[in-house]
Amino acid sequence: MSFGAWAELIASGLITGGVYALIALGLNLQYGLMRILNIAHGEFLMIGAFLTWQVQTSFGISPLLMAPVSFALLLGVGWVIHRLCFKRLTATSPNLDIFEARGLMVSFGLMFLVQNFVSLVWGGDLRGYDYLTDPVQFGDARFAANKLLLAAIALAVSIGLIVLLSKTLLGKGVRALMQSPTGATLVGIDTERLHPLMFGVGLGLSGLAGCLLSMTYAISPSMGEPYTVTALIVITLGGFGSMTGSLIAGLALGVIEALGMHFTSPSLKSLLSYSIFIAVLLWKPKGLFKK
Amino acid sequence: MTTQSKRHFIKSSLALGTAAAIPSLVAPAHAQGAPVRIGYAIARTGPWTGGAQVSQEPNFLLWAEQQNAAGGLNVKGTRRPIELVSSDDRSDVETCVRTYEKLMGSDKVDLVLPPWGSNANFAVAPLANRFGYPFLAPTALSKRLIEMKLPYFFLLLQQPAPMTTALVDMLKANGVKTAAVIYVDDLFGLENYAALKVALQGSGINLVEDKSYPGGVKDLSPVLRSIKDKNPDAFIGFTYPPDTILASRQAKEIGFNPKFFYASVGTAFQLYRNVMQAGAEGVLGMGSWNSKTTPAAKAYFDAHVKKFGAAKEPDRWASGHCWAGLEILTAAVAKVGLDRKAIRDYVATTEHNTIIGKVKFNGSENVATPGTVSQWQKGEFEVVWPKKNATAELIANKPAWK
Repeated sequence: MSFGAWAELIASGLITGGVYALIALGLNLQYGLMRILNIAHGEFLMIGAFLTWQVQTSFGISPLLMAPVSFALLLGVGWVIHRLCFKRLTATSPNLDIFEARGLMVSFGLMFLVQNFVSLVWGGDLRGYDYLTDPVQFGDARFAANKLLLAAIALAVSIGLIVLLSKTLLGKGVRALMQSPTGATLVGIDTERLHPLMFGVGLGLSGLAGCLLSMTYAISPSMGEPYTVTALIVITLGGFGSMTGSLIAGLALGVIEALGMHFTSPSLKSLLSYSIFIAVLLWKPKGLFKK
Repeated sequence: MTTQSKRHFIKSSLALGTAAAIPSLVAPAHAQGAPVRIGYAIARTGPWTGGAQVSQEPNFLLWAEQQNAAGGLNVKGTRRPIELVSSDDRSDVETCVRTYEKLMGSDKVDLVLPPWGSNANFAVAPLANRFGYPFLAPTALSKRLIEMKLPYFFLLLQQPAPMTTALVDMLKANGVKTAAVIYVDDLFGLENYAALKVALQGSGINLVEDKSYPGGVKDLSPVLRSIKDKNPDAFIGFTYPPDTILASRQAKEIGFNPKFFYASVGTAFQLYRNVMQAGAEGVLGMGSWNSKTTPAAKAYFDAHVKKFGAAKEPDRWASGHCWAGLEILTAAVAKVGLDRKAIRDYVATTEHNTIIGKVKFNGSENVATPGTVSQWQKGEFEVVWPKKNATAELIANKPAWK
């Protein structure tokens, strides 16, 4: 295999991995911070995708402009959902384990609610549009422009979020809450404000990912679930609550899948992903990057 | 996950599993006599929806509406309104089977219409046979279904052997020497791949690469890149709609432009043209009719667009076969009434005139419709092979992706 072919293969893995990372970061923010295992995470991605598709096909508005809009809208939706569901759960659950179990049930409900809502509004058809599909050449390698854009935004936002969490006061507050909720509350960190905000940011990232994915894939109301599963694998690999872990694990999974598909068969992709998943669980049950 | 959350997880999964879909009723407008109750389960949610809501359910709705507008379904001379008893099978085989069991076993509807896809039909066909309900399936493609020799089961779509033979004949006639194939690793993909291998024997076409992939795949570029390196004359994909679009987009992305680019389910959809735009030009796929095929096909196409809007055209393959099945059922009921055994005998022994031309069954298989190949040309999916069915000339060298 030539150098160009290798570069192309690894870059295509990194592109897929960038999206995995973005989705996983959102989920990790919800689980790592609040112990909400949001099974409906991928469904909000699907909403972002449908909104972008609708606006692009009806008004010809660039999907790129829809990226911040999807993020903001889903952030708002997340805020409201947290207020309506999870705030009550926090108040009524006697301990964190019960909260987690109840949260899981609620998110299952949300999954069906959102899926059926989208089916009702947009129908079950497969949808798609044409945006920046022309290839861009880099030496021997070529990629569709929309994929490069997708990877660039996904990586920029992921790294931005990690920097935000590690450098700012807000980030310190969030990390403190992840490490010790009681301790953080004792030193005056306001969970009442931070929890809904971070849940919203999680959904916002999911909406942004959906917006980006709609540029490259056909979309349907059932598109979200596989991404939730991948995100779960990624955050388990990277470690619950570890943002850098999610980013690296997402990128690594993308590259491993691309290489695996090239040298074996795409049919073995799931076998490969799950083998790595099981191996990591056996070897480092807390995740690769969790101390 | 904690023990508690695991328990909750299991509980919630069980609850979801048992939540059956609620039947919806389409009430008739005006007609005399007791309604004819016709039941079906179809995907309105889940992964099958994309196919089911293009090729199948819109046709059921259009048919019921047209019949009721004409005063009802002609049951041996008496017009009776059609009452559709339908529900969502959630793209789940078990839900599908259970719904049909209820429709035929306890609701005892007069007739049933089929679900979408090879897998669902494979599961429901033996059941319909046991209950003695004639079953005219427009979206099932499987040799094994034919080999089951179910007397009440009829397949309207051309099967893998004639479809792949037509494709290989066309490629051979155009001097193709090498081909590469990818196929989805389920019943549809495996059977088509097997049929292709048989069709290729002695054709002089060499298969340089063959790879399977799982349904719902998100990236085919690693496979397409290795195929591109082998530079085959023809690319053949036994693919489902999302993968059809994925393979086309990624082939364009990596600059893989073989002389013949063939994909399967979904190429005949309007969606393909919407998504690929000018890039669709010259792409080959599974298709068998368009509005030029027969005047009746044109009337059907126009009625469909009138009811569902220009953004929802029928697809140029299974939709036509679905409508043909409804035409056959209408004729059968007009002739023999609602005696299901008599309907079955009528369907099995008659040569039917439909919008896709003649349909005749040998056992379960429609043997009158030949295998066909279609191609996108200037915004229409034209039938290009065999020549006697063609609505346009084949463009032998695919233009570059646009």
